[in-house]
Amino acid sequence: MPAQPLNRICYVEDDEDIQRIVRISLEKVGKMTVEVVSDPLVAIERIIAFKPELVMLDWMMPGMDGPTLFRKMRETPEVRDLPVVFITAKASQRELDELRSLGAAGMISKPFSPKDLPEQLRAIWHALP
Amino acid sequence: MNSSSTASGRHASPANVDLRQSADPRYVLADRVEQLYSQMPIAIGATIVAGAFATWELQGRWLTELVFIWGAIVIAYSGAATALLIAYRRRSDVIGNAEQWLRSLGIAALANGVSWGLAGAVFFRSLTEEQQVFLSFLFAGITSIGIPVYAASWPIFAIYAAGILLPFTYTLATFGSRLFLDIAVLVPALYLVYVGIAYRLHQVFISGYRLRHAYGKLTDDYTALNQRLEQQLVELEEARRQVEASGRKLALFAERSPIAVFEFDVEGRIQTANPSAETLFGFAAGELIGQTGTDKLFATAIRDEVRERWRELFRSRAPVIGLRAISTRRDDAEITCEWSLTPLVSPENRVISVIVQGRDVTQQLEAERMKQEFTSTLSHELRTPLTSIIGSLQLINSGVLGDIDKDVLELTTIAERNGQRLLDLINDILDVEKIESGKLTLFPEALALGELIAESLALNRGFADRFKVRLVTAGEVPAVTINADRKRMLQVMTNLLSNAAKFSPEGGTVEVAVAITDDSVRVGVSDSGPGIPESFRERIFGRFAQADMSHTRQKGGTGLGLSICKRMLEMMGGKIGFSDRTGGGTTFWFELPKHS
Repeated sequence: MPAQPLNRICYVEDDEDIQRIVRISLEKVGKMTVEVVSDPLVAIERIIAFKPELVMLDWMMPGMDGPTLFRKMRETPEVRDLPVVFITAKASQRELDELRSLGAAGMISKPFSPKDLPEQLRAIWHALP
Repeated sequence: MNSSSTASGRHASPANVDLRQSADPRYVLADRVEQLYSQMPIAIGATIVAGAFATWELQGRWLTELVFIWGAIVIAYSGAATALLIAYRRRSDVIGNAEQWLRSLGIAALANGVSWGLAGAVFFRSLTEEQQVFLSFLFAGITSIGIPVYAASWPIFAIYAAGILLPFTYTLATFGSRLFLDIAVLVPALYLVYVGIAYRLHQVFISGYRLRHAYGKLTDDYTALNQRLEQQLVELEEARRQVEASGRKLALFAERSPIAVFEFDVEGRIQTANPSAETLFGFAAGELIGQTGTDKLFATAIRDEVRERWRELFRSRAPVIGLRAISTRRDDAEITCEWSLTPLVSPENRVISVIVQGRDVTQQLEAERMKQEFTSTLSHELRTPLTSIIGSLQLINSGVLGDIDKDVLELTTIAERNGQRLLDLINDILDVEKIESGKLTLFPEALALGELIAESLALNRGFADRFKVRLVTAGEVPAVTINADRKRMLQVMTNLLSNAAKFSPEGGTVEVAVAITDDSVRVGVSDSGPGIPESFRERIFGRFAQADMSHTRQKGGTGLGLSICKRMLEMMGGKIGFSDRTGGGTTFWFELPKHS
């Protein structure tokens, strides 16, 4: 369990509406600091710059999907150890198992409740080793 | 040609040799015995007549008593011989005792001969010359008669004649007359000639009887063979008719079959193709027959795999089923067919040919793909905007953005609730689709029932609050584990609890009770609602089942929930049902096996 409470979160998501909802949810309900990235292709440098404690990835994005971005992060030393949580509307059990074996910290299914999202993230954060 | 015909002419025809050898010796012997006995009346008659003559001629001398005694012996012999003949005629076993009968006849013949011989030995010396001539003549005649009578067995003739001639020869030799001594020398020579003739006749008889029996046997064999052949011909004709009928049936099956049917030879060349095959591939049968099936029917990319499966079929003799392969039609259009290859194997385990059947699944695959695409679209494209809608409304309604006007809040609450309903419907439709297509995967694990119930109550309390209904457990939930999929069990509980809350009166209570049996756990969710209308009970677990459509509009619900619960519980080895609750209301229950 990490010593400090969860505070800085980076969210990679192409849908602007959901970006906004998540931002409001995390900032207003969760009192967290949020960095939202729209383009997955520049996500890694933005994450490096922002230095979040946890990264949230959308599953389906144009240009590069969440799992691919996740694998790329695993290959990048600066962000390799960041906990990653996927937000997805659909994923086969096989894909989920694969991501878990690669080290994904958790999965939140769409549609999520913005009221409960900060709590869900904190639960995943507390469950980390 | 010449040499071969000479060669065959030099040897006795093997058929003849075999024919005579094939006669059963027992039958031949029996026939000879029969021949001998059939001559007995002549021998007996001749003995009586000759005996009577001799007695008459020889009486009136000093030996009169002796002559009569001799006559009595001849009569006694004749009686005994007649008795033997009668016994022979009455015998039951014609074949078996032939040798015994032959021996008896030999003894009789010896007795006959000796009785005459005795007459010669005893009377000859004291007879007149005339009488001596008479007796000699009689002996010659009696001996001669023996040849035809005993010809079927020369040894019998030999002992018969010896019985007559031996004592007579002795008498002649010791008589003291020069003439009689000469005769005594001639008689044995004559005897040997007689026996020689009897031997020849004996051989002729045996040969004749053998031929007769061999021929008879041949005729019998031939008749039996003929009958067997006739029977086999009838059976063969019947079999031919059956084969022809089943052949016609098979041909009809292939011809009218909606799937393509080919017959390949063991080299993989097309032997026959039915009309469906012609239609499917666009080739006339004439263009297909004789071609290598793999090259003609399958797209280049798949040919290697098809060849491998073909070889496997020859190795294992087992049919190949469900082989999906892309084929190129005559018009270059690509189609996907599902193939089955069935080897026709002979009783010697040799592959005779291979029946190849192909079903066009192109449209089916396209339909499956479209359905999957639709499901995927429904899943993603509908859920994503709903996430935004419901999420936004939730944030507004939660008050984190500040106070909102009461009327606005009422409307946004309605919007959130209906958004949620839409989402529930989508989720339910997706579940139904997964169940139908067999793609619903469950992840059963050992679950503590108490925790599951507590969690489901917590999840649904907010919903129940809207109807001012309390969710409670009836007493302590016993510590028991079930083997079930956690997420799906929460879905089942949510369904039952939300239904119970919806149909309970305001201020009512929904009660969850657990009962444990030996190997299963039963969970009941009881409401205090109006009960289930009689007309609805039958179809309550059917799809889109709603007792009263006005409820749907009032309280929400897709009408899919219970049918999904039923299928999921069944997949987990459980069942679901309901019963009326005493004092009003309904109890919905499900049973699941205990975790062992």
